[in-house]
Amino acid sequence: MSFIRHPFWQAAFVLAIAYALVKVGIPYLPPFVGVASAPVPSTVILQYMLTVTVGLLVWVSSNEERWKEFKEPIQAVMVQPEKKGLRSVFLLAIPALVAFGAYDTVRPKIAAPASLRSVHPAPPPQITFRGETMVLNGLENPLHEEMAPEAAYELGKEIYYQNCMPCHGDYLDGAGHYAAGFNPTPLPLRGGGTIAQLTESFVFWRIAKGGPGLPREGAPWNSAMPAWEEFLTAEEIWAVTLFLYEQAGVAPRTWEEEEEG
Amino acid sequence: MRTSPLRALATIAALLAVAPFTAAPVAAQDLAHGQEVYERWCASCHGIEGTGDGSAAARMLPRPRDFTRGIYQVRTTATGDIPSDADILHVINVGMPGTTMPGWEGQLPASDREALVAHVKSFYPPFETLPVPTPLEFGGASGSSADRIAEGRIFYDSIECFQCHGQAGRGDGSSAPPLEDDWGSPIRAADLTQNWRFNGGGTVENIYRRLRTGLDGTPMAQFSDLIDAGFMTEEQLWSLAHYVRSLSPERTPAPREVIRIQRVDPGLIPNDLADPRWDELEPAYVPLVGQIVARPRWFDPSVNTVWVQGMHDGYELVLKLTWNDRSLSPDPVWTTDWQARVLAAMEPREDGDLAPGPRPDRLTVQWGNEIPEGMDLPYFLMGDARTPVFLWQWRSDEARVERGVANGINAIRSSGPGGVTAEAQWADGQWQLLLRRSFEPTDVENELRFEVGRAIPFALFAWDGDNGEAGARGAISSWYYIYPEEEVPASTYVTPLLAFLVTGGLGLFVVGRAQRREREGLKRMGS
Repeated sequence: MSFIRHPFWQAAFVLAIAYALVKVGIPYLPPFVGVASAPVPSTVILQYMLTVTVGLLVWVSSNEERWKEFKEPIQAVMVQPEKKGLRSVFLLAIPALVAFGAYDTVRPKIAAPASLRSVHPAPPPQITFRGETMVLNGLENPLHEEMAPEAAYELGKEIYYQNCMPCHGDYLDGAGHYAAGFNPTPLPLRGGGTIAQLTESFVFWRIAKGGPGLPREGAPWNSAMPAWEEFLTAEEIWAVTLFLYEQAGVAPRTWEEEEEG
Repeated sequence: MRTSPLRALATIAALLAVAPFTAAPVAAQDLAHGQEVYERWCASCHGIEGTGDGSAAARMLPRPRDFTRGIYQVRTTATGDIPSDADILHVINVGMPGTTMPGWEGQLPASDREALVAHVKSFYPPFETLPVPTPLEFGGASGSSADRIAEGRIFYDSIECFQCHGQAGRGDGSSAPPLEDDWGSPIRAADLTQNWRFNGGGTVENIYRRLRTGLDGTPMAQFSDLIDAGFMTEEQLWSLAHYVRSLSPERTPAPREVIRIQRVDPGLIPNDLADPRWDELEPAYVPLVGQIVARPRWFDPSVNTVWVQGMHDGYELVLKLTWNDRSLSPDPVWTTDWQARVLAAMEPREDGDLAPGPRPDRLTVQWGNEIPEGMDLPYFLMGDARTPVFLWQWRSDEARVERGVANGINAIRSSGPGGVTAEAQWADGQWQLLLRRSFEPTDVENELRFEVGRAIPFALFAWDGDNGEAGARGAISSWYYIYPEEEVPASTYVTPLLAFLVTGGLGLFVVGRAQRREREGLKRMGS
């Protein structure tokens, strides 16, 4: 197969593979090995593809022989009388594509303002909980010392299913029966990216202060998370915190770990 | 999970030892495993003893199932029979849409879900002795057609489905207000226009099966006996299933953040609900849920969907809001037969015990005071102390819209009528409401000025008075946007044309040059 040896087709092949990898590979391959992923935004795809194209051009033009060979098919389509049909197709199709791209850019689009919401904003150093100052830095869940683990778990469980379950779900997956009614949808509490990377004091802060207590980057106007200090005591919030980690099967991040890392 | 290797080894050893000698399908280890899974994931609603009164149960309607009476809604077996193991597993897998029961397939491993079946059965000892029931023969669905749907409607009338489900299927029938389940809890007749909330699933096959088996434990009857008695054929019951399916949208609706408000020529925006153009405009789905953010919370909202449509002519904007509500509140029958029981059933009562009473239906549209430049919005729940929101407040007992300003859900001030006109109509369990205002507000200081070509945030609040809803107890949405379409500027079409011409010209030039060079090269070689 002379196609495989030909630098033009090699370049085209590499370009196609690169596109497939960025467009499909990045979002869908990592989940096979248990790593979370997401689709790549179109602007980033464009950036990747430009980089790959420049790289390919450098490669084909780095050698005189290869450069000549690379240009051959392009040259052939442009000049050979028997390729007139193909030539006309390109002469029409390329401007049509460009025109479509231009239309897509200028046409009126219906969209909400982009939301740059931070899901885990930085916590304040201290909070006022029901009139008392609590320093969050280094704060541990006092129930580990003060309550039997089973009792704390059961208390937290009761509070969770009475209050949190409608949004955060029976399975703590953020898919409760009210979840679809809110935008942004409620946070899933299980999985590596969620409470497992937070300290218990962070979780306490988020439960106690809810949406209204979020800093500006957390988009407090959109969050439907109530400020639970109006409903629950500190002990009850600590119990829910303990329950969440136990039920989700993950361990909280600890302060020691944070200092080392 | 928490199983130690030693324990797993012991389980395997025990299974190996027991397996060859037992004929019983359920090993003791499975039961123990089932109990562990049940207590971890199910007991908070269904109760440790399976009695359906877990710690969260009093905040749910319909109530979680009590397993101790062996009564199951979703079965393939005849009414009054126990379900098959596959039936119980099916409900564990897919859940009960329209209720608080989620599906566990993909959450819990198959071994857990199978062990749960055994544990749930253990709450009703007759499962051990009763013969395994044979599922009914359902056959497959035949295709739908206008004729079949029309035939189905005839049977909808002749077997009096409308008594509970209403003439238009919205659960507003005259027998609906006093309905209760076998445990005495209030239960709504299903709204047949929302098949994505059918307890047993929304496909025509699901509907047919429920018609054949009934939903045991609820007032929903079975109709297999009408087939046995020769009153109707299986095919005719299938037609009824097709009719019921036809009452809901073809696809399950999904919310869209931005709702297009169609542009019409100046002066031509619809004046009333009867305008035929409303039927041509696709309604946008806005889901509503109970207000459980601020005190007093309400876990049993009646309105779960508002459909939004809109048109504008650059000077005036008109919204049509459509939502299902089983009664025109205050309706004395619903107030006594339904409201009293719901208020008594629902926890928590954070504003104390409420007496049933005549309360109107209400709907409020919440706007920001201005269109936000960036992503900053007022707090979605009626604003807060710092940033107020502006409201259109409609209620069924007054034929007008009151404007209002809110600084929080319990801090709403009325600022009088004026500027917004309303037309409302209730029929067959559905409200239709037309709200109309000019782009320029009456009160320029406090009210939002609409603009074309901008995403304008709004949120909805709905109250069903006969469901005991008032004040903070109601149904809410988070922020959505309306987008009044702009006139398409000429540049939208000129730019692509220019791009085409320039690129095409460039292409011709490059090809022409290449061909010239080629000819010159050939000439040189020839000379």
